[in-house]
Amino acid sequence: MKLKDMFKKTNRKNYISIHSSDNQGRPEVPEGLLKKCNACKAAIVTEDVKSNYYICPKCHNYFRVHARRRVEMIADEGTFEEWDQGLTGGNPLSFPGYEEKVKALQEKTGLDEAVLTGKAKIGGVETVLGVCDGRFMMASMGEAVGEKIARAVERATSEKLPVIIFACSGGARMQEGIVSLMQMAKTSAALKRHSDAGLLYISVLTNPTTGGVTASFAMLGDIILAEPKALIGFAGPRVIEQTIRQKLPEGFQKSEFLLEHGFIDRIVEREEMKEVLTEILKMHERCEDKTGGCTDCCSLVKEEEHTEYKGLTSWERVQISRKKERPVGSEYIKELFDGFIEFHGDRYFKDDRAIIGGIARFHGVPVTVIAQEKGTTTKENIEHNFGMPSPDGYRKALRLMKQAEKFHRPVICFVDTPGAFCGLEAEERGQGEAIARNLYEMSSLKTPIVSIVIGEGASGGALAIALADEVWMLENSIYTILSPEGFASILWKDAKRAKEAAGVMKLTANHLKSLDIVERVIAEPENFTTANLQDVTDKIDAYLAKFICDHAAMDVETLVEKRYQRFRRI
Amino acid sequence: MIKKVLIANRGEIAVRIIRACREMGIETVAVYSEADREALHTQLADEAVCIGPAPSAESYLSMDQILSATMITGADAIHPGFGFLSENSKFAQLCEKCNITFIGPKSNVIEKLGNKSEARNTMISAGVPVIPGTTEPIFDEEKGALEAEKIGYPVIIKAALGGGGKGMRVAKKPEEFASAFQTAQKEAKAAFGDDTMYIEHFVERPRHIEFQILADKYGNVIHLGERDCSIQRNHQKMIEESPSIALDEELRKKMGEAAVKAAKAACYENAGTIEFLLEKNGNFYFMEMNTRIQVEHPVTEWVTGIDLVKEQIRIASGAELKFRQEDVKLTGHAIECRINAENPEKNFRPSPGTITDIYLPGGKGVRIDSAIYSGYTVPPYYDSMLAKLIVHAKSREEAIMKMKSALGEVIIEGIDTNVDYQYDLINNPDYQSGNIDIEFIERL
Repeated sequence: MKLKDMFKKTNRKNYISIHSSDNQGRPEVPEGLLKKCNACKAAIVTEDVKSNYYICPKCHNYFRVHARRRVEMIADEGTFEEWDQGLTGGNPLSFPGYEEKVKALQEKTGLDEAVLTGKAKIGGVETVLGVCDGRFMMASMGEAVGEKIARAVERATSEKLPVIIFACSGGARMQEGIVSLMQMAKTSAALKRHSDAGLLYISVLTNPTTGGVTASFAMLGDIILAEPKALIGFAGPRVIEQTIRQKLPEGFQKSEFLLEHGFIDRIVEREEMKEVLTEILKMHERCEDKTGGCTDCCSLVKEEEHTEYKGLTSWERVQISRKKERPVGSEYIKELFDGFIEFHGDRYFKDDRAIIGGIARFHGVPVTVIAQEKGTTTKENIEHNFGMPSPDGYRKALRLMKQAEKFHRPVICFVDTPGAFCGLEAEERGQGEAIARNLYEMSSLKTPIVSIVIGEGASGGALAIALADEVWMLENSIYTILSPEGFASILWKDAKRAKEAAGVMKLTANHLKSLDIVERVIAEPENFTTANLQDVTDKIDAYLAKFICDHAAMDVETLVEKRYQRFRRI
Repeated sequence: MIKKVLIANRGEIAVRIIRACREMGIETVAVYSEADREALHTQLADEAVCIGPAPSAESYLSMDQILSATMITGADAIHPGFGFLSENSKFAQLCEKCNITFIGPKSNVIEKLGNKSEARNTMISAGVPVIPGTTEPIFDEEKGALEAEKIGYPVIIKAALGGGGKGMRVAKKPEEFASAFQTAQKEAKAAFGDDTMYIEHFVERPRHIEFQILADKYGNVIHLGERDCSIQRNHQKMIEESPSIALDEELRKKMGEAAVKAAKAACYENAGTIEFLLEKNGNFYFMEMNTRIQVEHPVTEWVTGIDLVKEQIRIASGAELKFRQEDVKLTGHAIECRINAENPEKNFRPSPGTITDIYLPGGKGVRIDSAIYSGYTVPPYYDSMLAKLIVHAKSREEAIMKMKSALGEVIIEGIDTNVDYQYDLINNPDYQSGNIDIEFIERL
């Protein structure tokens, strides 16, 4: 039975009337209560947008945020102190109508120029803050913007403060011509001095960050964060399309694209931005105590139990080291450290998932953690390329180590790789060069490095993150010149003789300890899986505490000299 | 005066509201999702506006669509029914801003009562009993034991971060406290990495007793007696009745006065419900206040003779209550069974689909509130309640007999329903003797 129009006795209207006359006391939507989302076109309650970080509650589109709102969202309440108020630029090209335009915008926005700079506390940490405002000529950088940023950075350098800049810009300001171009040089130079003073700069890219701003201060952060789906690029997409006469792929030049291509450390949702910035700032606060409050770590470390053989052959250990159930790098990170913040990308070409890294705390001490990651499920195995790094992975690792050096953080590496990735693209981008570069740079890195072989440590692919002050091995991990299969096939032209090869290669932890290649062998429980991972991490924890404590006291020259001799003697 | 009401709801409650409006000479506007084109409320209202696709989030929960529908139809009031936006303080506030009469309490009252701890504090300061418990976290056993003594046994020890029954233990006597506290704390530490504990009085096998109240804009508040809603499955009420056989005149007066006090303390206006847990010893504790019309309102309507939906509209349009507390008399006994499209044999899995044939009972003392008809397709997107079968008779025994007879007549073909399950509940000797509490169904 269809009900349609069955109820004849109802005074149904078959049209919808709009009541326009006699609006006295009638329902009415007050001006400004609702607005339209420019992405999903839906009507949304203005108040919801404001209380929800200027994000569309329906489609999650990010609206642009005015500079002062941004400061309110990021800085601790009432802590923002504005600098260089009233600083404006000139009209170097005598560009007609330019001064009037600037004046009109000043009145409309209540801002002097397209950037707001000053000092604030974020999560209690004092920092210099710069925020671009897109309403002001698309926050293009002219003399005033460049000057304000340069001054803020210079002042941060002299006051020894970190800098955070929220970029949002169309690029250099056309109306000021070559003077605008020079602002790229000026801001970059100021940031170089800030960096050379050992200070932290976090760049946050928001939609859109393009042109001369991308090609200067926006891309120079020690850490570069971005809001989701922000357009970030040098040349704008329209210009590229017109030049090459091709349609650009979906998602091109968006934050996610840049993350994949290694140019940003992390995409951070707006709701979490303050929390993430606070965490990063706190991890970079000057911390005198590098011992992690360790007072009696030396007594914590019992001499390791004798792990002599347990009747296993070398080949059996090779097989154990490759077991699918064996804990992987990320699981050690989770177990051993607090507040791990992963950073992505090599800043050249790609974010290689075969190596993961970032900063974390070890008993309160900020450290840099790098791990070769295999993943646990098949899907993860593929995502992490089974732990076989590409040159991009090694370059990311080196970038993070250099960052650790700058901020005096110890570096902890977890080695677990069947070897560096063997493939066309790897060679094209210089696999050999990347490994060599790591050895070269790590040999004189001015901060302690410890590498722990947790599974397979095969070949140069493993050594590229194991040129360390100390190398430790899990009892059933292996460390070799190459896989037993490869060894057998090169020497005996028969990969099937891998078992025999394993027997002669001296690749087990105990062999390597007796050859003085590694410092420690860490005992494993039987049937080692994530379920009993803690048995192992408890030991690593104690050894790491001692390592960090011992090396914190060491001066840099001694540290580097000892590392040099560690390999020189072999 | 309200001239046109938009009903921001669907199903039987929308139909119920349309009928009340029609009887009062008020025009009605239905809103419907794309899945509800053929729904009874869509067809029955004077006007109907489609407000979006089937999922509730994009239609019945979409505030801006509903506001737009109100504007273009020129409705001057919105009745939110129950569920959906009915207890959404933001929606009520938007209505206030747009000069639309929201048929319910003020937005700030909804907000205050929706916040558990704020509602609890309001009740404590108004002198309405709440479940006694610690307000400060407890870390050690000795301190806990002292608090437990103050609270009164039995007590339940709960992990601050608890959930899923982990880190939760009951101590019935002081002798049991030490071991219960230790186990709970150990479990909490292992499961949540945190050993912060709270202790509260353990209400053993209580009844769910709720009081219907009406409050006008002029501070007049009355209660319309109680409903016993102890027959619940997973906190979902199945059978409700009024009055409750657990209350004598004295206790009814005491609880009713507490309910009125609670509503006054919250500056409540319109129809609302105060939920209590009632212990065997006659102690009762405030649980929460529902700031809307409830599913089970017909049982109260029948024993008091008051049309609650009409009262809601009257109050919203500024009328004063016509009765005082002494005018409210409970006559006879009413029982309601909820008939749902679900299969009790398959763990009450919802059973949407087309109703091929239908026969619903009638006769003296039988009322059916529903929105289904022969050929109607129950959409899978919404609540599975199909109909409410309400009976009224002189006594509880007679009402039970009537319900049995009426349930026996219900025929709904084409989809699975819980009618047989309800029939068994009504025939359960413990139910019939009134030996019920909120764990009744769990024990079956």
